[in-house]
Amino acid sequence: VKVEPVLYGDRKVYPVGAFNRGLAWYVRRLPEVWVEGEVTELRRSEAWATVFFTLKDPATGATLPATMQRRRFDRLGLSLAEGECVHAFGRAEVYEAKGELGFRVTTLERVGLGGYLAALERLKQLLASEGLFAEERKRRLPRFPRAVGVLTGADAAARGDILTALAARFPATRVVVHTTRVQGRGATESIVRGLAALTEHPLVDVVIVTRGGGSFEDLLPFSDEAVVRAIAACRVPVVTAVGHEQDMPLCDLAADARASTPTAAARLVVPDLEELRAGLRRARERMGATVRLRLSRDRERLERQRQRLGAAPARLVERRRAALDRAGARLQALAPHATLRRGYAIVRMEGRALRATTGVGVGAELDVELAEGSLAATVTEVRS
Amino acid sequence: VKSFEELQRELEEIVQRLERGDVPVDEAVRLWREGEALYRECARRLEATELQVEELSAGNDISGTSL
Repeated sequence: VKVEPVLYGDRKVYPVGAFNRGLAWYVRRLPEVWVEGEVTELRRSEAWATVFFTLKDPATGATLPATMQRRRFDRLGLSLAEGECVHAFGRAEVYEAKGELGFRVTTLERVGLGGYLAALERLKQLLASEGLFAEERKRRLPRFPRAVGVLTGADAAARGDILTALAARFPATRVVVHTTRVQGRGATESIVRGLAALTEHPLVDVVIVTRGGGSFEDLLPFSDEAVVRAIAACRVPVVTAVGHEQDMPLCDLAADARASTPTAAARLVVPDLEELRAGLRRARERMGATVRLRLSRDRERLERQRQRLGAAPARLVERRRAALDRAGARLQALAPHATLRRGYAIVRMEGRALRATTGVGVGAELDVELAEGSLAATVTEVRS
Repeated sequence: VKSFEELQRELEEIVQRLERGDVPVDEAVRLWREGEALYRECARRLEATELQVEELSAGNDISGTSL
């Protein structure tokens, strides 16, 4: 860059534009450095190609205007909030039109757990507001999955733990394992791809996402928005067993069930073989017992019916005879009275009914029975 | 092919129908035979002693992993 002064006698004078250009050129030769500060006055708009913010030194209050290409800024996905501490990598730059000094940032990193935690909290609230963690979204785990999908890191521990636990609890399990990068660059994409691959498998009815313990940063991919959303949108129920008990990556909230260890995850997804066997035996015993009871009842009823059948004819005859006897008695009792009522009388001498005058003399004592009452009579004349 | 769960559910249904006791005896015996067959099939399926493990990842996904 050539910056030519204008000469007024022996005075070299630079026009503003030329001065600024020269300054800019000079400043541009400064090396790229990391600058630490708090992000304030962050201005970002879809309409602008550049993101503007101010880096502030919390100790002294010194500030530095900073700019960054919006595309780059967005790609980092930091979702920075006011006051968060960052490390900005870039170089000083002069805005030639105004002669203003600024810091042109090429990359940004959040500093300290506080920042990460705040960002996680914001993401958590966003996802919660969309209902991704809602209880009613949680699906019931299949009681007997055709195959269990396992998404795991390549570390032997988590993978081994889960397979051992599945084998111990239910050896007949079919397992589909997808090994993936679980931390560092590309872990997020790798996890999302792995989950998709597992759910495409036609037999996988449930997926376990597992990873051994690690540092806060190591577990960050499991709180990544893309991973959390992929878990929430998964075709089959997902069980997470990530990190240790006290870790609570966001994927745990989106999962249908959370397990504190791989062993616990195995317990959730496959039934206990011994319990299952006992259940089957009980069902069989119940079935056998009912059928035996049923048959023995039927046999007893049949036996009772046979006895009743055998006894029936004799009882029938007996009953008829009794009825006949009663009828006969009634007939005997009723027949003479009916005749007497029509005006006839029974005449008895010495207890015998008289049919003729034979043997009856004048003066004989007779007994005359009428329909109602009887008479004692004496014979005064015999007509033959 | 029916899943284990389906077979188990069918067995349970048979047991419950039998326990209600309102099926004719011929039907009860037929159901019992069916139930026994279901029980044997279920038990047979539980006999496997080794996990069937299928690896999905072709390996390219894990190259360069820091673990």
